[in-house]
Amino acid sequence: MRRSLFGLLAVVLGLSLVAASCGSDDDSSTKAAFIYVGPVGDAGWTYAHDQGRLAAAAETGVETAFVETVPEGTADFGNYARDFIEQGFNLIIGTSFGYMDDMEALAEEFPDVVFDHVSGYKANGTNFGNTFGRMYEPRYLSGMVAGSATSSDLIGYVAAFPIPEVIRGINAFTLGVREVNPDAQVEVVWTSTWFDPVVEGDSAQAMLDKGADVIAMHQDSTAAGEKAEAAGARWVAYNSDMSAHAPAAHLTAPVWNWGPRYTEIIGQATDGTYEGGYYWGSMADGVVDLAPIAADVDAAVKAAVAERKQQIIDGSFHPFQGPINAQDGSVYVAAGDVLDDGTMLSMDVFVEGVIGSLG
Amino acid sequence: MNPPPDDAPPAPAVELSGIWKRFPGVVANAGAHLKVRTGTVHAVLGENGAGKSTLMNVLSGVYRPDEGEVRIDGVVHHFRSPSDALAAGVGMVHQEFRLVPSFTVAENVVLGAAERIVRRPAVESAVAELAERFGLATEPDRPVWQLSMGERQRVEILKALWRDARILILDEPTAVLTPGEADELGRILRHMADDDRTVVFISHKLHEVTGFCDEATVLRGGETVAASLPVSETDSSALAGLMVGSSPVISERPPPVVAGGPKLEVVGLGCLDDRGLQALHGVDLTVRAGEIVGIAGVAGNGQRELAQAIAGLRPTTGGTVHMDGMDLTAATPRQRFGAGLGYIPEDRMGVGLAPRLSVTDNAILRTYSTHRRGPFLDHEAAVAHCRDLVERFAVRTGPLDQPIAGLSGGNLQRLLVGRELSGRPGVVLAAQPTRGLDVQGVKAIQDLLVAERGAGVAILLISEDLDELLTLTDRLLVMHGGRVVAEFDPELAGRHEIGEAMVGHPPVGAASA
Amino acid sequence: MRWPVLARRDQVLRGGQPLAFGVGLVVALAVGVFLLLGSGHDPLRVYARMFDASLGDPRAWSVTLNRAVPLGLAGLAVAVAGSMGLWNIGAEGQIMAGAMGAAWVARIGGGWPGPVLVTAMLAAAVVGGGLLALGPAIARARIGVNEIITTLMLNEVAIRLVQWLVHGRWKDPGSHNFPLAPMLPDNGRLPTLFERAHLGVVLAGIVIALFGLAVSRTAWGYELRVAGSSGATARYAGISLKRKILTVMVLSGGVAGFAGGVELSGNADRITEGLSNGFGFAGIIVAALALMRPSGVAAVALLFGAVQIGGQSIQTMGVSSSVSTILQALILFGAIAAGVLGRYRIQMVAGDTVETPSTGVES
Repeated sequence: MRRSLFGLLAVVLGLSLVAASCGSDDDSSTKAAFIYVGPVGDAGWTYAHDQGRLAAAAETGVETAFVETVPEGTADFGNYARDFIEQGFNLIIGTSFGYMDDMEALAEEFPDVVFDHVSGYKANGTNFGNTFGRMYEPRYLSGMVAGSATSSDLIGYVAAFPIPEVIRGINAFTLGVREVNPDAQVEVVWTSTWFDPVVEGDSAQAMLDKGADVIAMHQDSTAAGEKAEAAGARWVAYNSDMSAHAPAAHLTAPVWNWGPRYTEIIGQATDGTYEGGYYWGSMADGVVDLAPIAADVDAAVKAAVAERKQQIIDGSFHPFQGPINAQDGSVYVAAGDVLDDGTMLSMDVFVEGVIGSLG
Repeated sequence: MNPPPDDAPPAPAVELSGIWKRFPGVVANAGAHLKVRTGTVHAVLGENGAGKSTLMNVLSGVYRPDEGEVRIDGVVHHFRSPSDALAAGVGMVHQEFRLVPSFTVAENVVLGAAERIVRRPAVESAVAELAERFGLATEPDRPVWQLSMGERQRVEILKALWRDARILILDEPTAVLTPGEADELGRILRHMADDDRTVVFISHKLHEVTGFCDEATVLRGGETVAASLPVSETDSSALAGLMVGSSPVISERPPPVVAGGPKLEVVGLGCLDDRGLQALHGVDLTVRAGEIVGIAGVAGNGQRELAQAIAGLRPTTGGTVHMDGMDLTAATPRQRFGAGLGYIPEDRMGVGLAPRLSVTDNAILRTYSTHRRGPFLDHEAAVAHCRDLVERFAVRTGPLDQPIAGLSGGNLQRLLVGRELSGRPGVVLAAQPTRGLDVQGVKAIQDLLVAERGAGVAILLISEDLDELLTLTDRLLVMHGGRVVAEFDPELAGRHEIGEAMVGHPPVGAASA
Repeated sequence: MRWPVLARRDQVLRGGQPLAFGVGLVVALAVGVFLLLGSGHDPLRVYARMFDASLGDPRAWSVTLNRAVPLGLAGLAVAVAGSMGLWNIGAEGQIMAGAMGAAWVARIGGGWPGPVLVTAMLAAAVVGGGLLALGPAIARARIGVNEIITTLMLNEVAIRLVQWLVHGRWKDPGSHNFPLAPMLPDNGRLPTLFERAHLGVVLAGIVIALFGLAVSRTAWGYELRVAGSSGATARYAGISLKRKILTVMVLSGGVAGFAGGVELSGNADRITEGLSNGFGFAGIIVAALALMRPSGVAAVALLFGAVQIGGQSIQTMGVSSSVSTILQALILFGAIAAGVLGRYRIQMVAGDTVETPSTGVES
């Protein structure tokens, strides 16, 4: 029915459609659907995206919808996307890496629908684009806080998988740590999980048992923080301000703030200016930020962090500016050099100060 | 009305009246009634299918009657479950044991009735104490899977006693017991009755009823045909008449046949039991064509293992098995069947028959590889074979494509025996072939064995029913401790001598291993 | 007082099963109304959407059929083992092993003609699934190790193996260091039948039918059923239990592996650790609902697939994933209840509560 109706419309309105701007007779007709990998209540990754969705919806007034807990690597993503498209949604935002191939194929199948993918590496230059954030910026700042907080000079970093995004975060964090505390080291534990409170908590505990007195993390659960809280250690959270989950341990957190970017995408989709390129948002853009630093952290540290933050925003400092040595002591970034985006996006080396391997 | 006089007789312990229970296609109880006085051992008699088990299941709360009333000590009860019945003091010892094989005796006894935390030593000593009080020899710390049938039954009885059952129902308790064990059970039951407990005893072994019961109620076709007959005023043959509704059937000793050459020769056979202990210590025996050799013995003296070893279902640790001079010691069960060994196993359901499969599927268990069309089973041939068995061996069954679980014990055994005999075996190994069957079922199976003997088949009959052995066999071997300790001529042997041999005192000079 | 109780039918009613199923479905949907009202949704709209998205038009059917394929094959894998009384809890991992086999062939067969490559991939998938089941099969057959534990544990192994490959040897050089295997070549994909449905629908149907026939009609299947009914009876009948356990477990794994190959070639773009998607565990439910009969697996898988697809679709109208999951569970529960009802009849008896169904008529 729907199909033949469209066919009829296409014939009757063919000429006017050619003249009209991209598939809309009314500016408010953009409908944005978000497809999430986790539950919106996870307090982490998906929560941050949903906060962004709500902010963008409030800002633009467009209709938004979401589905949560959609597994990667299955037919599910395509089924959901098609359902949304059939209901008239014309902007699909997928917030997990594993949706990339599906979104690429769907973008080809539905040229009138905009697909924006968070965290991948593909785009088609028209209706399929890529969005991510320069999380390494606040990671660096959070490292400074952690480096000041450790007295054992051993920081545990409970990380998901050795992929560029995570490696980049570990390196930036370590560089921040060593700026304020050159003796401190960051030891990495891989959990091979994105959301498994038991494994992530156990890994954090193992680091605490080893003498770490600050725990940083790169997954979506709060388990590591709860272990740190129980052990009387400190914690650098991730994704969103998680201070409510471990009030005594929580130092700060590099956080996502997707509202501005989603507002922008909706605007581009609505006025037909969406280009399907690569977007890598920075602290200057407001997509990533550092959560408020715990009240008991020394004011001098806070001031140093604030200064660095300002320098990063105005471009006078880059976390990956040389000289930086690699883990094995060789030169990774020569003095005066700054890593380019391409190298950062496929980063596969640890910097000096990181204990652990990439396997 | 007058108030009841003070010396009015106390209400009966059990009073069932007008009990109806229908199952799909079967009326199991048709207005049956039963009255049992406190402190007596009361027999409930009837053939298989007479409705005894159903009536007992009603009394013990397993089934809810369609109609009728259950009174315990004069009070009407509506049992919703066995635990309701138990709360009213009614405990049942089922024919099929409901024990957890991997648990110990003590754990099984207290299962479901114990404190939240079981302190094993305390429980074990409490169970041992209870067992001793009622003369039930058992080892509380042994796992149940290691026990003989008789021992398992004692665990079931202990379970009921542990739960303070004042009214104890035993469903064919002696079916799995040796004569000696059965007598012992009788003493235990009398002991309980003297202790003011009430025992309802289901059986169709008349000598047991006359031996240690006070009263008997006879069921036939779901109805009560005789209620609370004082046992002292009746006799076996009258009771048997009530049960079958005609004059009692008594197997007659078959006329002697001149035995031919040796068909089955077992030499020095040894094997282990389930516990890994030596069960057989070099058994020698020979069965010749046209003779029935019986094996008597107290349960657990290697008879079970002997049968399984000869059938090829239990690895041997030494010795040989020959049939017609062919060495079958290492042969598979299928090769043995092919060589002419028919085997009627002790466990009908679960060894000889597959419970979830249809009548047809069970009928072709031995021969399915011949009913084939390519990789497919020839369904028509299978059904024809099954129909033939059903007709020739008078198996009463429903639709042939329905699971055999619905058949009665006697019909199951007819099907099984018929199937084994239809292969025209030269040797038949029959383990407890008539156990648990009703009078007519026993007769039918015995007649089949005797007919086979007449046709020149060599039959090894392992039985715990001494009467059966004395009546049917041409030679009688007695096993004790995994050895053949004595051989008797059943026509001349005295029961006392055989009994002595069964407990390990063979007569001096008797043939032995 | 008279009360309704359940009494076992002497024979399963012909046509009773669909009737009971209808009743179960209506009851489940009625309970679901309260759930949906309670969470602020219009039940009629939600149910209409569920139906439309799963069975409403050819496109919906195609999506449902695609989902029924892995469910049905995983269910078949469990049922094949189950008809012999074995529990294969490892279909999840065997799906992964099958997908690994197929992905490996796709890596080397990029230049082969499509039909050849796809056939080789599916064959490798069967081998992969079978290989993963081989260990538990041998352990069970030779020394009696409980296959539930071993197959369950191997699930984790298989998924970690995929992870390891994807993070290492099989990492696509063009993936910017992201842990991704290369995309499947186009000639390694199953052809489309109609709309979204791929050829796997037909293949799965054939495999299920073949196994249904094999178990119910062949001598091999007869031996299987005897062994499933009682191991002691099987030994008595001269059936080699060890060999049977071995073949059945490996076949069961092979069927699950086949599901992985079909899923990879039909639905996925490349092998990822998300590929098995819980199908192996859902297969246990499918097999149980089908009463461990291979012949019943297809219908149950179709129902299961429709419920999943419909249940997912309503999330795009704002129904939360938890409410949707509860609703899906309700409908499947309704179907289970219906299965029970189909084998029993309701009978009025005197008394004050309902008794548990009895099983035997032994007097």
